[in-house]
Amino acid sequence: MAMEIFESGLSWEVRANSRHYHKHKQKKSFLCFHWGRYADNVVHSYKYSPLTFLPLTLFEQFQRVANLYFLLMLVMQCIPAISSVPWYITIIPLVTVLSVRGLKDLVNDMARRRSDFEVNSRPCDILVSQSFDSAQWKDLCVGDVLRIHKDQVIPADLLLLCSSEPHSLCYVETADIDGETNLKYRQALSATHTQLTSQPSDETLAAFDGLLLCEEPNNSLYTFRGELHWQGECHPLDHAHVLLRGTVLRNTAFAYGVAIYTGADTKILRNSGKQRVKTTQVEKVFNRVVIGIVLSVLLVALLHAILSGVFSSQVMGNADISSTVVVNANPVYTGFLTFWSYIILLSPAMPIALYISFELIHTVHSQFIGWDMEMYWQPAGRPAQARNTSLNEELGQVGYLLSDKTGTLTQNRLVLRQCCIAGEIYGDASVRAEDVEPMDLSWNPFSCGGLHMSAPSLVEKLRGQQCPPSRQFLTALSLCHTVVTEWKEEALFYQSASPDEETLVGAARELGWVFLSRARDFISVSELGVTRQYQLLALLDFTSKRRRMSVLVREPEGGLKLYCKGADIVILERLHKDLQYQERTERALELFSQACLRTLCVAVRSVPEASWEQWRKTLAQSAAMATCDRDALLEKLYDQMERELQLLGVTAIEDRLQEGVPETIALLQQAGLKVWVLTGDKKETAVNIGYSCKLLDPDTRLLEWQELRQILQAPDPGVSFFKARQMELWAVDKKMAGAKTAVVLTGPELAEFDQRPEWGSTFMSLAEHCQSVLCCRVTPGQKADIVKLVRKHTSSVTMAIGDGANDVNMIKTAHVGVGMAGVEGGQAVQNADFALSQFRFLQRLLLIHGRWSYRRISLFLRYFLFKTCGFALVHIWFGFFNGFSALSMYETWFIALYTVLYSSFPVMCLGFFEKDVSAESSLSWPELYKSGQRQELSSPLILALSLLYAVYSSLVLFFIPFGVFYDTALDYQTMAFTVAMAATFTATIEIMLLTRNWTKINIAAVCVSVVLFFIGTGITHSTVLFKKAPADYIFIGVLAKAFVDPVVWLTALLTAWTAVLPSFTAHAVNITLTVHDKQKVHSISPQPVELKSTFRRGTSLRRSPNALF
Amino acid sequence: MVKQEKEFVNRPDNTAFTQQRLPAWQPMLSAGIIIPGFVLIGLAFIGIGVALFVTSQSIQVLEVDYTGVEQSSPCFKCSDPDVKNCVCKMEFNIDSLFKGPVFFYYGLSNYFQNYRGYGVSKDPNQLSGDLDSFKVPSDSCAPYEYVGKTPIVPCGSVANSMFNDSFKLYQIVSGAKIQVTLDGKGIAWWTDYNVKYRNPSVTPLKNAFNGTVKPTFWSKPAYELDPTDPANNGFINQDFLVWMRRAALPNFRKLYRRITEGDYAKGLPAGNYSLEIAYNYPVLSFDGRKKVVLSNVSWMGGKNEFLGIAYLVIGSMCVVMSIVMLIVYAKFKFPEEE
Repeated sequence: MAMEIFESGLSWEVRANSRHYHKHKQKKSFLCFHWGRYADNVVHSYKYSPLTFLPLTLFEQFQRVANLYFLLMLVMQCIPAISSVPWYITIIPLVTVLSVRGLKDLVNDMARRRSDFEVNSRPCDILVSQSFDSAQWKDLCVGDVLRIHKDQVIPADLLLLCSSEPHSLCYVETADIDGETNLKYRQALSATHTQLTSQPSDETLAAFDGLLLCEEPNNSLYTFRGELHWQGECHPLDHAHVLLRGTVLRNTAFAYGVAIYTGADTKILRNSGKQRVKTTQVEKVFNRVVIGIVLSVLLVALLHAILSGVFSSQVMGNADISSTVVVNANPVYTGFLTFWSYIILLSPAMPIALYISFELIHTVHSQFIGWDMEMYWQPAGRPAQARNTSLNEELGQVGYLLSDKTGTLTQNRLVLRQCCIAGEIYGDASVRAEDVEPMDLSWNPFSCGGLHMSAPSLVEKLRGQQCPPSRQFLTALSLCHTVVTEWKEEALFYQSASPDEETLVGAARELGWVFLSRARDFISVSELGVTRQYQLLALLDFTSKRRRMSVLVREPEGGLKLYCKGADIVILERLHKDLQYQERTERALELFSQACLRTLCVAVRSVPEASWEQWRKTLAQSAAMATCDRDALLEKLYDQMERELQLLGVTAIEDRLQEGVPETIALLQQAGLKVWVLTGDKKETAVNIGYSCKLLDPDTRLLEWQELRQILQAPDPGVSFFKARQMELWAVDKKMAGAKTAVVLTGPELAEFDQRPEWGSTFMSLAEHCQSVLCCRVTPGQKADIVKLVRKHTSSVTMAIGDGANDVNMIKTAHVGVGMAGVEGGQAVQNADFALSQFRFLQRLLLIHGRWSYRRISLFLRYFLFKTCGFALVHIWFGFFNGFSALSMYETWFIALYTVLYSSFPVMCLGFFEKDVSAESSLSWPELYKSGQRQELSSPLILALSLLYAVYSSLVLFFIPFGVFYDTALDYQTMAFTVAMAATFTATIEIMLLTRNWTKINIAAVCVSVVLFFIGTGITHSTVLFKKAPADYIFIGVLAKAFVDPVVWLTALLTAWTAVLPSFTAHAVNITLTVHDKQKVHSISPQPVELKSTFRRGTSLRRSPNALF
Repeated sequence: MVKQEKEFVNRPDNTAFTQQRLPAWQPMLSAGIIIPGFVLIGLAFIGIGVALFVTSQSIQVLEVDYTGVEQSSPCFKCSDPDVKNCVCKMEFNIDSLFKGPVFFYYGLSNYFQNYRGYGVSKDPNQLSGDLDSFKVPSDSCAPYEYVGKTPIVPCGSVANSMFNDSFKLYQIVSGAKIQVTLDGKGIAWWTDYNVKYRNPSVTPLKNAFNGTVKPTFWSKPAYELDPTDPANNGFINQDFLVWMRRAALPNFRKLYRRITEGDYAKGLPAGNYSLEIAYNYPVLSFDGRKKVVLSNVSWMGGKNEFLGIAYLVIGSMCVVMSIVMLIVYAKFKFPEEE
């Protein structure tokens, strides 16, 4: 037995109805020791308890290097020999930062605790000795048998034993797990169904003593492997037998199940893994700058330490009155102490308050995104959402937009527009869907509108019973699908995982073929009012590899029919040889694809009873086989059945473009973004969508694989590329030709890149010259690979946008991932950094919010660097004139309050409210966006210049007062106050120069800062405080004395003005010389982006019949 | 109405703040504003500069270096540290009336009163008259904390190194010496004299210092600093207060006396003067210099040429830059308009 378990990997053992067996092995933990095997069903997502909050939050926060650095400073400041400034100077900003952050974490944790409590105390019915008792979720244990009511949330991963419905079917809604709102059905094993429902169920359930062997808990939502050993038999189990925690039971009165995985072992909790932390480009550059600052501080401290040693050795020996200069009469030791003193003294150059302010600004920017009324999608009541609050400025730098097609560019709200039955085309795609004249369908009691196809002739044929193929066509539509019905308020609703199927079944209903219900083995269809029951013999399901699905049914009359629908290529190659309407159908396919419609072929086959019997036996045999070979075998078997089909017709579904997509793409392209489309669809469909959404212009030349391959293989790809373009007759202007080329690739072709990694960079440099790149037929993995390719070979920021589960991979890989909250499930949104409801909201997200955020954050960082370094580096220069003794140039209180009070508010306001141009102008001048892509405000060069500027201003801040105070009777404290005042003025004037958008709050912040400086200084210089602690408030009376001294004022004024002179001059030169883009924006009235919808399709496209899904 | 509200679930608030439409002023600067602005600021600075410079020029300053480095100097004999109680005389001559009130400073160079270890070396509690600190001075006073086991009061480097030269000024009128009255009152800061430094409330003051010794460098104990005025002793002695207020930079002056009383209150008339120096303070060991400075003051305090010149330089730079900008602007702008 043990050997067997080891081989099959089914090592998770569950015994039904044996509580104490599992309780014994329950997971427990004490401190960091864990033992036991089965998790309890208690969710424990909160981190802190009253006892552990303080140690835990401190531990977390000191993992940040900046905080640790300041803690180190604090410790060093407590050593009297080296403390150049008292310990309380660092503790004020540090405690502020720690408590703000700790408070934020605490609030979040309280919310988690509340929601945990709510979840853990939800009610459920557990079978305890013969009867069901009401209990709470947290009491549940592995092996317990549960009863689930209708509309109840399932508390743990359960094996479905039986249900109140026939055949123990039950329906679940998985919205919480994958966001899909359609119902899915689960079915119990027939063994448990028959045994457990035959008698009154409580007792039989209590007697159920099955042994379950399953795989270890994992996070895969769509697979499950296990075996049920019961009554001497072994039944294999798969995911269709399992009800997952978090799903909701629907349309089913009761369901009974035994808990397999509980609590932390359940699939949904295993899935709530941590998201990869993304850091922005700006932050990366800035972190490097901060490391640079720390290194320079160390270097300067070392230099001063050496000089200090030299100085003291010179003074030593004649130390009759100034013997304190040399500590322990040892210059080396003096130098050693001075080194640490200088590290402490220069530590404010490393901005401690920066990271917390940075986070605060990010949070507010994210709120702004959520608050934007114009990104609110009213029909769904859904505002935009910034799920990741630390990527805002990256939105202003996006260079590559990689977009999914279905559901992102298009609405994914499918409408049947045309169909072709027996070579006859019905409906007219040239009329807009809204303008189609509704047909008179009053004869059909089930009709509820929503058919955007006008084909009275078809209805006539159907009702007149003239045309068997059209009747069969509709029968196929109403039978061949996996749709589930639901009755709500006397009306029939269809639910399906695939929007295509829902549309087709809905269209069939309008035309009189009403799919009524699905049971385990039967499908009921009302055909023009006559209800017929088809026995469902087999369902050959859809996979992306097969690209078709079929049902095998027995008609009420007894005949066996196989109905099949799928992608055109797949169906056409499986058709019966002598086909009547082949040519006409193919022409119809071409017409449909030119009108950007998704096409599906529908076919039928009459199956002889004998071949069915044989096929069934083989199927039963292979189904019982081991898992790995089974899939391949089944596919082969299905393939045998889906042959010699008879083509019934073609459906043409319109997936309409979302509102504003062409405008948005045009605008983004003007803003310098490269828009690429990655889709699983066919090449022709993708290209057509490309034209209709203005991604490609009518005269754009398509570069396909053959040609691209030649170019890539050429010794000099660049030259060949240009040659290839010049050969085109229309390419008169070379430059134009470059912009008007688009590359079209397909998945298999992309796979070749894996073998030739050197093509990657060549391809990217070519793609740079192209208007766009379309990748069709790509798998989710390939989508991510393309993103990786772009990330690897360009320095641009990539953004991926998609709506489906197949886009999750690329959304996670890109710098910024955007999820469309659309028709498909919520998985894309769950994994995205931003969630939007409409593609056109990208305009605002990128061009307004992104651009503003980028500008605000770059300015914020630059200013922060300037103000802290300019302020702290003064000590370096002062060192040369105080014997390198690490004497502070400022009053210690000023050092503490400068960052927190005197200079923080205006820069926060800048971070919140700054805008150089209005939202409207940002949209009408998309070119402004390019400055973010070029990193104009945040390049390492710019940051280095800011640092240089800070060094300059620190020189000014020291040497002008130095000149004034040299050889005068003015004392050190007056000079300290003068420099402090100059530093505050400098910081204030600089922020006034940077601020372009003066709201009342900005003005107030600037005034408050300056006033606070004088009030704060007045307080620390006051008599009252001095009397309380004479050692800490030694600057008593300085403000009063200096305030009335004109020299102090004039010096501070001159110093501040000289310190900001470069910045001021740069502004002035900028204004004088360049007639700047932004000024154009203000001087010229905004023009709406011109839109034309001229379509012209490439002649190379023969037809574009189009695959489903 | 209820239905309408329901239609807008989750709808964001439409306020100026949330929609980022707070009313704001966006200054639209153009060359037409910025260049004249620049000129105006430059002119204002030049104006201030001229005022400062002119004021500074009107201030008379007379400096007498009495370190005695050169052998020719009358104080050379005193510069040897082994010579005690040395008095030397410096003669100098004033050409025209030195307008009063004249301030009398002493100046030291290459003297790092701003050395951190030096500045820390004092006990603020002791200096504010706390008797407990008389017995146990703060550690920060090291190495001038104790002599043997007796505490030093006032302890620490700063107090210990107090400047102890003293000066007398005479005008020589036809061979006779007339002493110029020097006023030593009110030369320290008001807060220092009244709040920051306090003598212990013990009378007589001498008793408070029982069980303590004077700083090693001092010749007299703190309570006998000024024998002429009992109120000017202890920690509130004016000279002590001036010394304790540390200088910012290694070259500095400190106010010694003012000439505000008597015949010379209106100024020092032209003539020959003699400065009698009780030379005690050693500075040559660290290559320092000592000098006496006589100066009168204006609204801006003592003579300060640097500030005026700096204003003039920065102001002129602004003006020059705006002219350059104007030229460049004209060059760039006008071709465009053609």
